[in-house]
Amino acid sequence: MVVCVLIPRFQLTVAAGDREELLGQPAALAPEPGREQRVGEVSLAAEAFGVRPGMPLGEALARCPQLALVPPDPAGVADAWERLIVRLESIGAAVEPERPGLACFEAQGLVRLHGGTLDHVLAAARTALRTPARLGAGPSRFCALAAATRARARRPQVVLGDERAARDYLAPLPVALLRGRAATAALPEPLGRLGIETLGELAALPRAAVADRFGEPGLLAWELAQGRDGALRPREVPERVEEELELPEAMSGVQLERALGLLVDRLLARRERRGRSLRAVVLAATLVEGGTWREQVPFREALADPLRMRLALAARLALLPAPAERLRLAAVRFGPVASDQRSLLEQAAAERKARLREGVRQARAAAGPDAALRVLAVDPDSRVPERRAVLTPFE
Amino acid sequence: MSAVAPARRHRLATPRRARVSADERDGRPRVVDGRLVDAVRESWLVEDRWWSEAPLRRRYWEVVTTCGRNVVVYHDLREGGWYRQR
Repeated sequence: MVVCVLIPRFQLTVAAGDREELLGQPAALAPEPGREQRVGEVSLAAEAFGVRPGMPLGEALARCPQLALVPPDPAGVADAWERLIVRLESIGAAVEPERPGLACFEAQGLVRLHGGTLDHVLAAARTALRTPARLGAGPSRFCALAAATRARARRPQVVLGDERAARDYLAPLPVALLRGRAATAALPEPLGRLGIETLGELAALPRAAVADRFGEPGLLAWELAQGRDGALRPREVPERVEEELELPEAMSGVQLERALGLLVDRLLARRERRGRSLRAVVLAATLVEGGTWREQVPFREALADPLRMRLALAARLALLPAPAERLRLAAVRFGPVASDQRSLLEQAAAERKARLREGVRQARAAAGPDAALRVLAVDPDSRVPERRAVLTPFE
Repeated sequence: MSAVAPARRHRLATPRRARVSADERDGRPRVVDGRLVDAVRESWLVEDRWWSEAPLRRRYWEVVTTCGRNVVVYHDLREGGWYRQR
C-alpha cells in the first residue's frame, strides 16, 4: 500500500511567507529569473480566473489582470521541503519525494511499527509532519495521489484492494489528475478536446490507439488509468554539509567570486567531509531585491580541488539575476576519498588525447559521423586547389 | 562476406560558380558577383592532365573588389564559365 502526502500550493505558500493574505487573492509564483516565462503554482482565487500552473505569463495576466506575482523562493522551498521529508523519514518511512509538496512512501513495512494498522501509520505521518497535509493511500502511487487529492485536511482517503480496485476508484475521476505527473502533465488538454473527460474513459480506449495518438506519455497515462504504476524509488538519505556567508553589502561580480572562494575553502575544511571528494553541490543566494536563487551544480568528476571547484561554480554565479546579500554552498553528494589526486608522473599529453577522443565520441553521438573531421593533405603541391586537401573522419 | 562502407571524403576548396563579366579584349574580370573589380593582383594559367581523357585548362585571376575583398576566380577555357575558388 502506497501512502501519498500532498501539500497543495506548497511552493507558493513558502514563497508568500508571512504575507498570508496573498493566498486569499489571485496570486501566482512569478517565473524564476532567466528561466522560461511561465507562472508557477497559483492560488485558488487565481484558478477561478482560469490561471493554471505552467501557463505563459502573458496569458495568465490577460486572464487575470489583478494577478499578484510572488517572487519565487527556490532556496526556502528546498529547505522547508527537506525538513518535511526528514520528519517523514523519522517515522521510518522510505520516502520518494516527487516534487516540493508531493511525496510517497510504502506503508507495508511500517504497519507493525505503528500499531498494526494503516490508520496508525497515517496518524503517525500526520503527527510527524506537524503541518496540514492531505494524505491518501492506495495500491499504486497514482491511485494514492488521486486519493490524496480528494482527501480533506484531517481525513485521509484510503483505497483498499488491488489493481482492479484502483482502476474502479480512478474511473470516475477527471483526467486533470494526470497533471500531477510531469510526464503526463500536458495530456489533459488534448484529451479534453477529444471528449475524454474521465480516467475510466481513457482506460476503456484501446492501448494501441492511445499509443498511436499520444506516444509514450499516452501509454503511461493509460497504464495509470488501469490502476498500474511503477515501483517507488525512495531517496537515499542525503548527508548535507553546508556553509553560509552573510555579505556585508550586496555584492556581485568579482567581489562575489571572492566570497565564493571563501565559502569553497570553508566547505572543504569541514571535518564532516572526512577527506571525501564532492560530486554535487547546491549554490544558493538570497537576493537583495527579495526572493532567492538556487542552482544544483554536479561536477564532471568528483573533486576536492578548490581551484577547479571555483572555476565550475563561478560560471553559475554569473547567472545570478541580482546582487546577493547572502551566499550559501552545500555539498549534497560525496565522491570517493580524494579521487582527484594527481599522478606522480606527467601524463598531460596522454590525458589531453584521451579527452579529445572522448569529446569526438560525444560530438559524433550527438551530431552524426561527420561531426568531427580532419584536413588530410593529399597533394599539397598540386596546382589545382581542390586536389590539395580533403576532409576525412577524425580517428 | 560483409561489405565495408567506404570512408566518406569531402573535398576542400571546390570551385563554386561565380557571376563574372570580363573585358572582351584580354579576359580581365571587371565585375565579380555584382562587385566592381578595383585591381588585378595576379593572373596565371593552369594546364593539367592534358594527357588524360579529362584535361583541364583554367585562367586564374586574383582580384581585389571595390569593397576590399580579395577574390580568386578562374575562367574554364575548355567548358566556358567562371568559378570562384579559395
